[in-house]
Amino acid sequence: MRQNAGTLNRTWLAILGILCLAAGTALLLQTNGTLQTLLSTAPAWQSVVTGDLQAFLAQPWVAATVLVIGVIIGVLGLLWIIAQIPRKNRAGAYRLHDDGSQGFTLCDPSVLAAAVEKQINTLPGVVTSAALLRGTARAPDLTLKVTVNDRADVRDVIHRIQTTTLPELSSALEAPLQSSRLQIDVSGRTQSTGTVVHSTGTVVY
Amino acid sequence: MSRHDQRSTRLRHRPSRAIPALIAGILLLAAGAALVWLSVTRLVNGSWPTVLQGPSDWLAALAWNDTAVRQIGIAAVVAGVILLLCAIIPGGFSALTIDDSGTGAGDEAPPVREQEIVMTRRAVAHLAKARCVQIDGVGSASATATTRRVHLNVTTSLHEPGDLRQRITDAVRARLEESGLSPVPQVTATVRSRD
Repeated sequence: MRQNAGTLNRTWLAILGILCLAAGTALLLQTNGTLQTLLSTAPAWQSVVTGDLQAFLAQPWVAATVLVIGVIIGVLGLLWIIAQIPRKNRAGAYRLHDDGSQGFTLCDPSVLAAAVEKQINTLPGVVTSAALLRGTARAPDLTLKVTVNDRADVRDVIHRIQTTTLPELSSALEAPLQSSRLQIDVSGRTQSTGTVVHSTGTVVY
Repeated sequence: MSRHDQRSTRLRHRPSRAIPALIAGILLLAAGAALVWLSVTRLVNGSWPTVLQGPSDWLAALAWNDTAVRQIGIAAVVAGVILLLCAIIPGGFSALTIDDSGTGAGDEAPPVREQEIVMTRRAVAHLAKARCVQIDGVGSASATATTRRVHLNVTTSLHEPGDLRQRITDAVRARLEESGLSPVPQVTATVRSRD
């Protein structure tokens, strides 16, 4: 249901990995003198810092530059950490009719999602469900998480959702669903709505 | 940064690499905070913090062919390889696909342009375990599931389990098949007699 930063993570991990690998390789080539032969860099026996480091650090612009670099690195790190929080990215209000001369009709997608959940929760074998609408009124995206009990007929639940819930939602919005994603989960709990009868008995022959 | 234009993303996805990303993000944040603290101290007091004295003296005396530089280079290469592996290794899918062609929706096809139906690996394991414990002779069971394989660890009170393992795998496979999983994962079981 919630969306995470998988693509972002892979991209930045790859970028940082390439940078670290390139820097480390360059450093190793520099220590054994190979880089000097190839690119005429400083000889391996020379100091890493050739000038007066204290005098360099004493210049006022160095502190300002370090401050800017520190802020950029820190903000990037913080944004990356924040991006790890899974988000629902739910849709804003659906504009069912947006003809300005005749007024607007807005619909909160969470109301539709609640109706969908309510209907699905009554299906046999369903313990609980969660619906999330994204997209727009003309191209709605529905993501469903349906938890069924471990004796439920999974195919029957899917069939009922496909033949009743989805057409009714589509009919309410007067538009076909752009996408429908259904995640089935299984729980040991029993159904919370409707009547559940736990039968025990003795078979007499 | 993780927004997807309010569109849904696939439910069957590979790991998001959140842990290496969190570690890298925390390291970046710590490095940035350290640089800001150093520079702000310099701007406010007019001199760099004394903690910087040791590293600057060490850096001033460092030559390119020193062992320390080589060690830093090796550490950077190792870190780079680890980060690249974290980014490149795809990892397993989070869920298994359910084929909806057998649900009978045929004539009454839902008004949906793109459809995805999945069952989480945990759900598959739970389903397999629940079916397993219904079989006569099974005392207790635990199940693990990947996208390709479901494995059951079963304890039985029978001294001679006989064909119990076969009955378990057949029943669980049938349950997974009737749930619509496609492809149906391979079902294996280990049966141990309770002493």
